[in-house]
Amino acid sequence: MTEAGPPQSVSLTIDGTPVTVPAGTLVVEAAKTVDTDVPVYCYHPKLGPAGLCRICLVEIERLPKLQIACNTPVAEGMVVHTHGQKVEDGRRAVMEFLLLNHPLDCPICDKGGECDLQDFSMAYGQGASRLADAKASKPKALDLGPTIVLDDERCIVCQRCTRFDDIITRERSLVVKDRGQRDVIATASGEPYRSNFSGNVTELCPVGALTSKTYRFKSRPWDNHRTATTCTQCSVGCQLFVDERYGTIARTMSVPSDDAISDGWLCDRGRYNIGFYADARRITAPLLRRGEQYVQIGWDDAVEAWAAGLRDALGAAGPQAVGVLGGGRLLNEEIVLLVALMQELGVTNLDWRAGRQRQATPGRYAGTYAELEAAQLILAVGRPPSQTAPVLDLRIRKAVSQRGARYVTYGGHAAGSFVGVTPLRSADDVENVLSGVERVAVVWDGIDLELGARLASAIDGWVARGVSVTTYLSGEANNARGAEALGMVPRSGGLPFTGMLDAAQNGRLRSLSIFGANPVLHHPLGGASVANALERIPFLVVSELFLTETAQRAHLILPARTGFEKAGHVINLAGDVLPVHQAHAAPPGTLADGDMLVALAAELAAEVPGPEDVLARATAALPAATHGFGDAAYSEGVTASKSDGMAAGKPGGGGLRIAVGSDIFAGGGTIWFDETLAELRPDPAATLSPATAARLDVHIGDRLDLLSSSGDDSLQGLVVRIDAGAPDDVVAVIDGLPEAPANSFADGDNVVLGARRAADALEPALVLP
Amino acid sequence: MQSFGGAVMALYRGFATTLQFAFQKKPTVQYPSVRKQHAPRFHGLHELRRYADGKERCIGCELCAIACPANAITVIGAENAPDDRRSPGERFAGRYEIDELRCIFCGLCEEACPTDAIVLTPRFEMADYRRGSFIYSKDRLLVPPDAGVGAPPDERPGGIPADLGWVTEQKSTVDIARGYDATYNGAKLKDEHKGLTLQ
Ligand code: SF4
Ligand code: SF4
Ligand code: SF4
Ligand code: SF4
Ligand code: FES
Repeated sequence: MTEAGPPQSVSLTIDGTPVTVPAGTLVVEAAKTVDTDVPVYCYHPKLGPAGLCRICLVEIERLPKLQIACNTPVAEGMVVHTHGQKVEDGRRAVMEFLLLNHPLDCPICDKGGECDLQDFSMAYGQGASRLADAKASKPKALDLGPTIVLDDERCIVCQRCTRFDDIITRERSLVVKDRGQRDVIATASGEPYRSNFSGNVTELCPVGALTSKTYRFKSRPWDNHRTATTCTQCSVGCQLFVDERYGTIARTMSVPSDDAISDGWLCDRGRYNIGFYADARRITAPLLRRGEQYVQIGWDDAVEAWAAGLRDALGAAGPQAVGVLGGGRLLNEEIVLLVALMQELGVTNLDWRAGRQRQATPGRYAGTYAELEAAQLILAVGRPPSQTAPVLDLRIRKAVSQRGARYVTYGGHAAGSFVGVTPLRSADDVENVLSGVERVAVVWDGIDLELGARLASAIDGWVARGVSVTTYLSGEANNARGAEALGMVPRSGGLPFTGMLDAAQNGRLRSLSIFGANPVLHHPLGGASVANALERIPFLVVSELFLTETAQRAHLILPARTGFEKAGHVINLAGDVLPVHQAHAAPPGTLADGDMLVALAAELAAEVPGPEDVLARATAALPAATHGFGDAAYSEGVTASKSDGMAAGKPGGGGLRIAVGSDIFAGGGTIWFDETLAELRPDPAATLSPATAARLDVHIGDRLDLLSSSGDDSLQGLVVRIDAGAPDDVVAVIDGLPEAPANSFADGDNVVLGARRAADALEPALVLP
Repeated sequence: MQSFGGAVMALYRGFATTLQFAFQKKPTVQYPSVRKQHAPRFHGLHELRRYADGKERCIGCELCAIACPANAITVIGAENAPDDRRSPGERFAGRYEIDELRCIFCGLCEEACPTDAIVLTPRFEMADYRRGSFIYSKDRLLVPPDAGVGAPPDERPGGIPADLGWVTEQKSTVDIARGYDATYNGAKLKDEHKGLTLQ
């Protein structure tokens, strides 16, 4: 303040209080330091000023007119009055103008009760309109896309929604169409508004113009019981509010102050995938197989049967014949209990790897989200995070668009990030883009260990050169990092899950307990062989929410609880230990996996740690890791995928290779059993580049079958899509779709076209009268 | 000290007053065969009204529920289906319940209602044997389709009803003397149950 030189600060007076803020701060932000409220509509700290609504008028001494606080930077000696007669008169005039055609139908407006326009009407409105004519009438309940409804009458054209779509997601599909009184929020293309982040605009909209279809008319803000928790749908670990009313989850909302993890945004999976817990197909009583049928039994009998099955297996063939697979639904506490109980029983066959992801801990160069954002170069290897860790991808978009980072991918997948992406084809390309770069962030999908190991040695080389590298592992399983950190991995001499399947095939595995995992749909050995192996296990226990492909093979099905119905902790991909709180009462008859384990331990008379001990272990800070990507400790004999070979881009004559990607709305669990999201689930599609489609003579909308080169596996009835950005000679399909499970296909596998039906030979979807 | 004559006069006046009432019309009536007219502002059982075209006035806004000091009202909104419109506009009350045992008959719901949907009628007779039967839902609160009043707002959703003035005056839109129980529908149900039919 006294000496010159950066960082400069500026002293000014706001409402009589002297404040000192960094130079360049906007008056609206400076005012936050003195506990005064400057009303805003169009301004948002993450979207910046736009100067559209004029409600933020303040008086600045020695300036003849009122100024907008959101677009006026502070100046030395400035004297600002945020209240007073002149300011209030100005705001009243602005309000009158904003309300000119506003319907003020608050009683049927979803925003009613949390609406800025309502609040500022109370503060600055004049109660009655001076408008003599009827208000302009505009369309209400305009369908903007699968998730959002627009009430055009209520829009005050603050453009927060369009700026979000421009500045934050970079997707640039929302625009203000037409001008003046006729303006309307629409997509530029006229197509439905589809985005993985569409729900955020309903929170940004300061009025009730944009509302979520899932929340329409369900509740009022004052009815909702709000719980702050962690989203358990993927490994990003966004903080979110769950609003519950009369035992149903009405909606979820982002936590605006959560800059460290979600940056204040949620993806649509986390926001809208909330209908599954109440689905009629939910299992709410333990089910025991009797021949071809399941009978409903009580929990006491279930735990007894479980313990008896384990004792039989242990007694007959020892702990090597018992295995445990713990999926991503488990919380840290449950993992600690499970590992402790298995240790007590001498069982060493533990694993969490039910799908393709082989590794979850990024190791010695693990970075935070802030470091990712500050990187100059972001390298995504394998499946890019846009579909497995959506909000992480938003941060990549931010780094690229707002902080000038460069985004490159390696592995032949489309990045799907809406920012400039350079796909790299060889290791040399990677070295080239690295020259002169100081801060690199590497995001790997954790699938191909051999590729990971080469990546790790390359990273070591970069670090030796003085490049600062941070690494991230954006896998498909949500609490995988917690599972790995807390010991849900094969213990001394134990088998990984693939080994357990092998042992099952040979009749050496006598009991397997699976918690919240669906290997039949996700394991790279393929549904048929996994199911075959599981069926040979004499005693298979599955703890699940629904009758999934895997649960259908079980002898005992235990009804579990969702992440909304239990409390504990998870570890996200950046290594933060995050709390999960119970937001809603679980259906009677279900138990959290942890409670099942406590009951099982009691039945087996096994010693497990007490609650304090479990909590301490579950929340302990992660130990510093020394390994890197693709560490040998994780290898387990699943044939490595060939994604790297694909990146080199040399298909054999006329060959077609497959790229298996993710989609945030693909899956066989919470998504599949959520009817409210039916419209968002992807169709099984085969995406081709225009050149490849032309070469193969297929057209958009055709149905085709893909066969593996051995002819053993097939994907049937895929809808052809054509994407100009797709690489040539590659057919991209989506993993984890129960209608067309692609888990037996690995990236880069050669595939051949099977039967196909031209679009015009199909049953017409719509016939015009 | 009062004189003797004064005391006799006082006695006389007292007895005269008593005697006078002996010849007047008695205020007690032979309830239930005879019923008294209530004061116009009497607050009794609720009724959910309709517009003259049969659409429900209630738009499920929950303002009555939040205004209610006894927390007696539960409203869950729902969206009108295009082919089955229950109310003008987009929203209607998917569920509407009043717990008449909690209700203190203050009339604040009536004050809060933006569409004059909920009113307290002069009906007061709601004795029953089970507590559960005091939770009145839409089937007993809504007036019959032909008992609506007032023009609905123009079909532009959210339009403001033009008839707020005179509708407010009216305490009920169905004949209050009909049946002894609760609302029109409740009375009908009970009478049917007893093998009686109205009219
Ligand atoms: S946007 Fe706000 S002011 Fe407008 S109708 Fe909705 S609640 Fe009322
Ligand atoms: S729809 Fe909402 S966020 Fe978008 S411009 Fe209108 S008022 Fe602003
Ligand atoms: S990015 Fe992941 S954690 Fe965040 S909201 Fe989406 S699903 Fe949930
Ligand atoms: S009765 Fe009136 S106040 Fe209550 S929900 Fe219906 S419209 Fe709203
Ligand atoms: S908030 Fe300042 S002009 Fe809109």
